[in-house]
Amino acid sequence: MANELHVAFRVGAADYAVPASQVLHLESFDTATPIPGTPSYVAGLVQVRGRLIPVIDLRARFGLPAIPRTIDHRIVIVQSGARVTALLVDSARDVVKLDDATFARPPEMLDGGGGFVKAVATVAKKLFLLVDVPRVIGEELGHG
Amino acid sequence: MKRLLIVDDSKLMRDMVSACLRPLGDVTFELAGTGLEAIERLSLASFDLVVLDLNMPDVGGIEVLEFVRAQDHLAKLPILVVTTRGDDDNRTKILAAGASAFLPKPFTPAQILGEARRLISSDAA
Amino acid sequence: MSERVDLREFVGGFVAEADELVAAANASLLEIETGNDSQQPRPRAVRDLFRALHTIKGLAAMIGVEPIVEIAHALETAVRIADKGGGRFTSPSVQVAIKAVRAIAERVRAVADDKAPAAVPSGLLDAIANADATPDPPAIPPPMSATWDTRLSASERQQVFQALRGGGHVYGLVFQPSAELAADSINISTVRTKLAEVGELIKVIPRSLAPAGRGVVFDILIASDASPAKLAELAAMPVAEVSTIELPVERDVTRVDMSAVNEELPEPDSAPLAGRSLVRVELSRLDDLQEQLSLLVASRFRLERELTAMTESGLDVRRLREITDLQSRQLRGLRRAILAARLIRVTEVLDPLSLLVRSLVRPGVKEVKLEVDARDAELDKAVADRLLPAIIHLIRNAIDHAIEPIDERIAKGKPRAGILRVTCSETSTNQVELVIADDGRGIDRAAVARRSGRTVESDDDLLEVITTPGFSTRSTATETSGRGLGMDIVRRIAVDQLGGQLFVSTTPDVGTAFTLRVPVTIAIMDVFSFSCGAQSFVVPVSAIEEIFELDAAARVTPGGASGVTLLERRGRAMPVVSLGVVLAIDNGASANKALVVRRNGEPVAFAVDRMLGRQEVVVRPIDDPLAHVPGVSGATDLGDGRPTLVLDLGELTGKIARRERRV
Repeated sequence: MANELHVAFRVGAADYAVPASQVLHLESFDTATPIPGTPSYVAGLVQVRGRLIPVIDLRARFGLPAIPRTIDHRIVIVQSGARVTALLVDSARDVVKLDDATFARPPEMLDGGGGFVKAVATVAKKLFLLVDVPRVIGEELGHG
Repeated sequence: MKRLLIVDDSKLMRDMVSACLRPLGDVTFELAGTGLEAIERLSLASFDLVVLDLNMPDVGGIEVLEFVRAQDHLAKLPILVVTTRGDDDNRTKILAAGASAFLPKPFTPAQILGEARRLISSDAA
Repeated sequence: MSERVDLREFVGGFVAEADELVAAANASLLEIETGNDSQQPRPRAVRDLFRALHTIKGLAAMIGVEPIVEIAHALETAVRIADKGGGRFTSPSVQVAIKAVRAIAERVRAVADDKAPAAVPSGLLDAIANADATPDPPAIPPPMSATWDTRLSASERQQVFQALRGGGHVYGLVFQPSAELAADSINISTVRTKLAEVGELIKVIPRSLAPAGRGVVFDILIASDASPAKLAELAAMPVAEVSTIELPVERDVTRVDMSAVNEELPEPDSAPLAGRSLVRVELSRLDDLQEQLSLLVASRFRLERELTAMTESGLDVRRLREITDLQSRQLRGLRRAILAARLIRVTEVLDPLSLLVRSLVRPGVKEVKLEVDARDAELDKAVADRLLPAIIHLIRNAIDHAIEPIDERIAKGKPRAGILRVTCSETSTNQVELVIADDGRGIDRAAVARRSGRTVESDDDLLEVITTPGFSTRSTATETSGRGLGMDIVRRIAVDQLGGQLFVSTTPDVGTAFTLRVPVTIAIMDVFSFSCGAQSFVVPVSAIEEIFELDAAARVTPGGASGVTLLERRGRAMPVVSLGVVLAIDNGASANKALVVRRNGEPVAFAVDRMLGRQEVVVRPIDDPLAHVPGVSGATDLGDGRPTLVLDLGELTGKIARRERRV
């Protein structure tokens, strides 16, 4: 568990990471089918390898203003427990090894104060924010 | 804390299934070696998931299913039935008797873990 | 995060348990032989033998020792036949069985010594199959007791009969478990063990005390020479409740019609065709049934929501809840019954393949042997219908490209006939796995990479490339080239439409295997598709009463309502709701058509832009709680690879109504 591979991606001005073991696919993103009545950070539904997956726009989730769609946009498809969701990010290119010995508690006032970052890690002077996936996908309201 | 009841007359199967499901995390296992024991345990305590072998002496899996489902407070209990080829593994009969899901042998640890996760989480919702 | 469990670690436990089972099997065979010497059938020993074989087969399957699985399966089949015959297992059969059990024991030893177990000895399986295990129909003993007669099988009644005829006693006991008794280690297992020491347990049956009480009791039938008082003590019950089983009348035992016998051991196949009653049903009628059921389920959800609302406003709805819970159970039962009606055996689906293969193969140039093994797998007819074209394409591909001409195969040292194997197995509750494998050339990764200009490093990459629309590695025109489907359509069917998975595994010169994993059942709906703003939606045809052209001039806007106007139709005022406004897509200005649905008996018209058509689609539920919203009952693929939402307009009217009330 010490030195684990993470998928790194960018949202706004910061770099984020999730454990590679949670990532099912990384796909380019074109559009999602909007679903009426869902929170504003739910971009909609996509179909990937035959599976219907809701897309969470991380910019919206983190309280950042929207930007026009580019070819760099990606969806990071993660599995948390029984749920599979797609995280829409500005770009996703790297895979990094993060040593959990270097994980530190996140400073206050991060990502709109939503509590979506569970730790910060430093690798070669670069800061990575570890995403709390269950919080992002709204586990507490999961059983509605 | 989730309580799981593993019902199989083979000690090896009970051990393997327990090992496969331990990664669920916060779980305790109760083991029963016959359908009768299973019925007895279910009448004395409540569980979150039952893994049930179909072929057992005296009272087999189908009978356990039918007996259990006839009781209102157990109608929604998730029950995963494990079958051996040559069992009356007619899918419709097993599901009609009230199985929540079934898994034929041989299965991989990942398969039974996936089914168990699915059954436990859908029950919580 | 290491969740990897390796079942091979359990080899030691397997050997220990297998040894016990082999010993048990031998003990049973010995008892059967002893019984044969005195012309007495030993039904219990036969049943124990079956169980030992069946258990060892399952364990061997889990650990992965194929030869043991095969031997155990073959022998278990013969023993099952014997059991149906009242427990007679002739001496020659016993001899064959002893050899088979020894063969199993040898292979268990091999596993214990960490050596590869030997393949099944040739001739053994044939010997087992030919063993004379079909005895004459047995004598069925006369009836004995109302309580027990209907709950015992022929073999068990034989046991009772034999015990009584031998001058012994048979008693009926009742054991009631409780937490207190369990704390003293008195539970059904210990009770049985103690009773088994003083007699022969014939049957133990659980009985629910509901609705009169809660909990269960166990009815026990035992042949024993111990006193009723002793038996009552062991079963922790009052002695007055011990019942004695007697033979009502001693009379000649006669041959009885076998149809009166209860099922004892599980059947491997369903009843022979002659005994089944079949009716041909048009698939569309089953689709209708299912759709009606979906509507029932949908309205039940609405009922649930209303009940919740009522509870929140303080009303006591417990009686209502009980009824809806009962309804839920009934709906589940109905659903199972309907789904079962739609299932067909995969073997039947694959029947036409042998004819197809024969028609595709040029005699003298290529030879192809088709092997189909679908065991008991079943599929929804709708899935099978959609899957068959994909399977046919894969077979065509294999014969066309993969399997080499005869002389090339001989030059490579392969058998002259290429082998095409189609197998199907059930991987879990709602999934089957279909594998189409050939022993041909394999797919040339380098050629694929060249032709496509992409890197092809893994089998996953390979699959991606060859399922891209328009891709082909055909370098020479062949008989079956240029027609039919491409690999991209295989993927579109198996993955996009059916929500399954597709894999490929290939080795140069060895062969290729395509694996399709598909759901056993899918929901098919007859829907109208329409557009609203830039989006397309579908609604079930059965929910729509009427579709008509909207004439903007005829609409009247009452004050205070958002997006709702009124329309006069056939003398009545009907509300017209702009779907675009309800879904927050647009302001409904370009709406031309109206779809009428019923809410509480009253018609409501939804204004949409354009009708696109009517079709049958595969509907999949949206499971994730984030995307689960009222008014959306699922999603489908209209062919563009993107999810299209299935709307429940009746639910949407509810949403508007609630909004209005607040105003």
